[in-house]
Parts: sequence; C-alpha cells; structure tokens
Amino acid sequence: MIDTDIHERVMYEELLPYLEQPWRRYIEDCHWIQEKHMPYTQPAVAGVDRADAKVPDGRPAGTDLAFMQEQLLDQNGHEKGILTGALDPSPSSMHGWYEMATALATAYNDWQIDKWLDHDDRLYGSIHIAAQDPQGAVKEIERLGSHPKMVQVLLPIDDILWGDAYYHPIFEAAEKHDLAIGMHHNEPPLYYGKWPKYFIEWHTLIPLSHMNVITNMIFNGVFEKFPKLKLIMIEGGFTYVPFLMKKMDQQYKDLRHEVPWVKRMPSDIIREHMCFTTQPLEEMKKKELMQIIDQIGSDEVISFSTDYPHWDYDSPAEALPPNLDDDLKKKLFSENARNFYPKFRK
Amino acid sequence: MEQTVCHKEDLQPGEMMESTLGKHSIVVCRASDGHYYAFLNRCIHQGAPLSKGKLCGAPAPTEHVGEYAFEKDGDILRCPWHSREFDIKNEGRMLVNEKFKIKNFNVTVENDEVIVYNG
Repeated sequence: MIDTDIHERVMYEELLPYLEQPWRRYIEDCHWIQEKHMPYTQPAVAGVDRADAKVPDGRPAGTDLAFMQEQLLDQNGHEKGILTGALDPSPSSMHGWYEMATALATAYNDWQIDKWLDHDDRLYGSIHIAAQDPQGAVKEIERLGSHPKMVQVLLPIDDILWGDAYYHPIFEAAEKHDLAIGMHHNEPPLYYGKWPKYFIEWHTLIPLSHMNVITNMIFNGVFEKFPKLKLIMIEGGFTYVPFLMKKMDQQYKDLRHEVPWVKRMPSDIIREHMCFTTQPLEEMKKKELMQIIDQIGSDEVISFSTDYPHWDYDSPAEALPPNLDDDLKKKLFSENARNFYPKFRK
Repeated sequence: MEQTVCHKEDLQPGEMMESTLGKHSIVVCRASDGHYYAFLNRCIHQGAPLSKGKLCGAPAPTEHVGEYAFEKDGDILRCPWHSREFDIKNEGRMLVNEKFKIKNFNVTVENDEVIVYNG
C-alpha cells in the first residue's frame, strides 16, 4: 500500500538545532511564536489526534518514528508512506515575517530528512516552503528538488489563491524537479473569509476549500503553462469531484472567452493532472463508490490515505466498502499513487 | 463461555479496562452507578479499539441552539478515533442512532469478582 497522507509532527524545540542564526535566537531569546492557530481543540477524545496514537512515553501523536512504524507502517504492511506533516500552521500560511517562515521551512525540511526519511526506506517526504516569498521558495525547491525521497512540494489550502501568476515560479521549479504539488488544507477559513461557529461546519465543508483552489488553478491556466505539473489534493476526499467536473465543463462551454488560455475541458485537465486522496471517507456502499468513479470517468485519480495519526484516520482494512474488485483495490491502494508521482514513475 | 476479568475494586465508577473473552478482545466498563458492562473491544465503524477511547459523559439533545446540558457522566463510551458515542447503559447503542450498537456481553459480580459471559 502507498499511503498518501501521514502526519509526522515536530515540536519547535526539536527544530532549533536545524535553524540558522539569527532565526534561532528569535525563538530562544525573544520567545517568538506563531500566533495563528485553528480555533478548535474540542473535536474528538484527544483533540484532533487518534487517542491511541499518543506515544507511550507521553509525547504527542506523530512525534516518534518507532511508534509510527509499529502502529501504522508495520501493522498495515505499508509499501510507501508520504509524510505531509507541517508546522502549525504551514510556513506558507504564517502571518507576517515571511523571512522567518522561510527559515522555518528550511529547518523543517532538514529535520524531516534527518529524523524520518533517512531512517525508514518506506517513507517519502514533502518539501515545505514559504510561498509568500516565491523566490525564496524556489531556492528551497532547487536545494532539495533532487533528493530521491522528496516527492512533492506542499502548499496549504488557506485563503490564498495559488493559481495567480505570482506563484508560478513555484510550479515551474516543481515541474523541473519531477515534484508534484501536494495541497492540504491548513486552516482555511470557509465562510466568506471567516471561521464557522462550530468545528462540524468547518470539517463538513473542507472540500469547498479544495474546490476553490482547483477552480482557481485551472482557470488561471496553470496546467496549460506547466503541462507536466501534477497536483494531489490531500484530505478533501473525492466525492465532490463529479460535481466540480460537470460544473466547470458547463461553465467552460459558456464562458471560455474570458479565459482563452485554457485549451482543454476542465474535466480532462483534472483527469490528466490531478489525484485525490480518499480520507476522510464517507461511509458508502460499493455501488455508490462505483457510481462516483463512473462519473469521474476514471478509476485512476483516487489514492488511499490514512491521515495517521489524526482523529479521523481511515483504516486501510475497514474504510472502503467491502468486496471491491481486486483490480480496483490495487489501483486505489498503490498503482494510482505510483503512476501519479513523477518520481515514482521513474 | 464465561471469564473472570477482574476484582470488583479494580475498576472504579467511570473507569474501563481491556480484557479478553475467549479469542475476543473486550472492554469492561464500570458505570457511574457502580454497575459493570462489557462489550466487544471493536468500534462498529472502522474497528478501532474502544478501550483506548474515553468513558465520559455527553451533551444531551436540547431544544434550543446554544443550549448545553451535560449528562450521563461516566456512562458514554467514546471511540478513540472518530469519537462516536455509545451508551454503555443502553446495550452499547450509538447516541445518534440507536439502531446501531456495539456487541454487548452479560456481566455479573460473584464473590467480588467481575465475570463476563458469552452466550
């Protein structure tokens, strides 16, 4: 199995040895801390973690490689797992002082390689950047792009519309280095720029934030400009995709004149360039799953993910409907991810 | 089949423990009123080990938006993963839909020992 969404976690103090001066002193001496956080801590028994994923010595879930190996990788027989953890929030989502965000992204990447990727052949990583500064972000992609275990550049889904030409140097660098773009929501405000009153509202509508970014990327011509670019939408599920394809195709037929740089039907762009991770799966019957796949027009754009160690983890053995055909199971659990990531294809 | 799982003082009201009954992993819970309940240690949703969750209370259904009334403290078994709530005093039925339940076992206390029965 290739698991396309695993959240390793760092504590700030673990990053300090990887942080250059003067950045380290701003944290050690001046107590700098990022103030932007999701305003909900109440969702599940252990906040947003699986209650049984806390490290036995008391450290938070996702902080220990050996425990993750035991509880996730070994138990489920993972062939590969892609790390998608990040700081809270992602450097690209941090308010202000983007020079600090850039330094933190670099430190995070070095920590990720040193503590995780170098110690388990199954684990692959994400390059974190501070996209507020596209030139700095490109430098970081250039620095690590050829690392054999870095398979994507991670961008948060927040209130930033990544399709804008301002961010295109990031896509150019990713394409050049055979890196996919991984997008994972990172505290997106959903209701007209605001947080909803209840976590359940926010969590229900996460796919809305994914739809925002996909629509924006397609109509801003990103995939025409970067024909080899791949985009994986992480932790938004896939059940919204049939609607979005139909709606964009219909709009494109009517309104193409406004975006003449878009040369293909949006649904074709989605099938050719994108992949969607399964979690958090709605409970559904096999027939319902097959209807969704039929409407997407491909069984090759969905890839299984657990979201370990978070509370809404999906079990590889239990989350999908039973009695799926072997061929489809192979695609969902490994082949689609293997064919999607440019570095895996090579 | 029957199995002695613990001494009655090993569990205080509001506490639970993992045990076994034959080949099954079970979770033994002691409710707020001191009674014992036992269930298959496996969530009906995705199979999570319920003993790693929490025995707690739950906000009762209320009539008005913004109104909270916490109840059943120590009687609600909450899954460690997706947090689904099961009422241990109502045969392990799910709070949001009583049609769904975790498998429950009969429990007695004999000579201060807690005994779980299957069948």
